[in-house]
Amino acid sequence: MELNLNSIAFWSFSSLAVLSALGAIFFRNLVYTVLSLISVLIMISGLFFTLGAELVGALQLLIYAVAIVVFYVLVISTVPQFKGKAIDPKYMLLSIPIGFLIFLELAYVSVYGAWKSNTGIFSPEIVEKIGNAKAVSTMLFTKYLFPFEVASLILLVAMIGAIVIGKKQEQED
Amino acid sequence: MSIPYEYYIALSGLLMVIGLVGIIIRRNIIAVLISTELMLNAVNIAFVAFDMKLHDVAGQVFVFFILTIAAAEAAIGLGLIMAIYRLRKDVNIDTLTELKL
Repeated sequence: MELNLNSIAFWSFSSLAVLSALGAIFFRNLVYTVLSLISVLIMISGLFFTLGAELVGALQLLIYAVAIVVFYVLVISTVPQFKGKAIDPKYMLLSIPIGFLIFLELAYVSVYGAWKSNTGIFSPEIVEKIGNAKAVSTMLFTKYLFPFEVASLILLVAMIGAIVIGKKQEQED
Repeated sequence: MSIPYEYYIALSGLLMVIGLVGIIIRRNIIAVLISTELMLNAVNIAFVAFDMKLHDVAGQVFVFFILTIAAAEAAIGLGLIMAIYRLRKDVNIDTLTELKL
C-alpha cells in the first residue's frame, strides 16, 4: 500500500471513527457519550471529503455535528442521570456474536452484490467539470423534487409534534 | 483514488454493528437514541461510497434526506424522553415496561 495523503486521511479518519463509536457505546457518563458522538460525526464528515462528496460533508458538519448534537446536550443537561448500571453484561454476551454475524452478512452482500449494479452518468470527469454541489443539487431539484418537499413537510410536522409533546400540561392536574 | 471502496463499505458495516450493539446493551434511552444516530451515519457512508463507485449522485441526495429524518427523529425522540421523564422521573428502559404483556 503506497503512502499518499488520501490513504493517510482515510486510515486516520476511519480508525478514529471506530474508536469514538466504541467510546460512544461503552462510556457510562452520557456527556462522554455525546462528546464521542461529535467525534464520530466529524470523522465521518472527513471521510466524505476524502470520497470527494464535499456538499454532504459540509451538511454533515452543519446539521449533525452542530444542530442535532445541541438537542442531545440540551436534554442531557435537563434529565439527570439515573442511578443504576448503564450497560447490562448479559445483553453484551448475546449481542456481540449476533453483531459479528450481521457484520459478515453486510460485508458479503455489499461487496459481492451491489458492485454489479448499473453505473450512472456522473463519472469523475463530469463531476469534476460541473462540481459536486451542482451535480447533487441538480438531481435534488429535478428528479427528487417531490421527496424534497415531503422532507420539508416532515420537518414541519416534527417541529409541531415536538412542541406539543414537550409542552407542560398545566390545566388538567 | 487509492483507497478501495470495499474499505469504506467495511467501515460502514462496522459502525452499523457498533450502533446495533449499543442499542442492545445500553440501559438509558438517550444513549439508545445516540446509537441509532451511529447507525444512520453508517448508512450515510455506504451511500456516498456506492455513489463514487457507481458514478451516480442519487446516494448523496439520499444522505440529504437521512439528515432531515435524523433531525426530525432527534426532535421527536428527545421530546418524548422529556415527556417520559416528566411523568416517571426515570429514563431507564428496563423500568419502562407498560407495554409488556
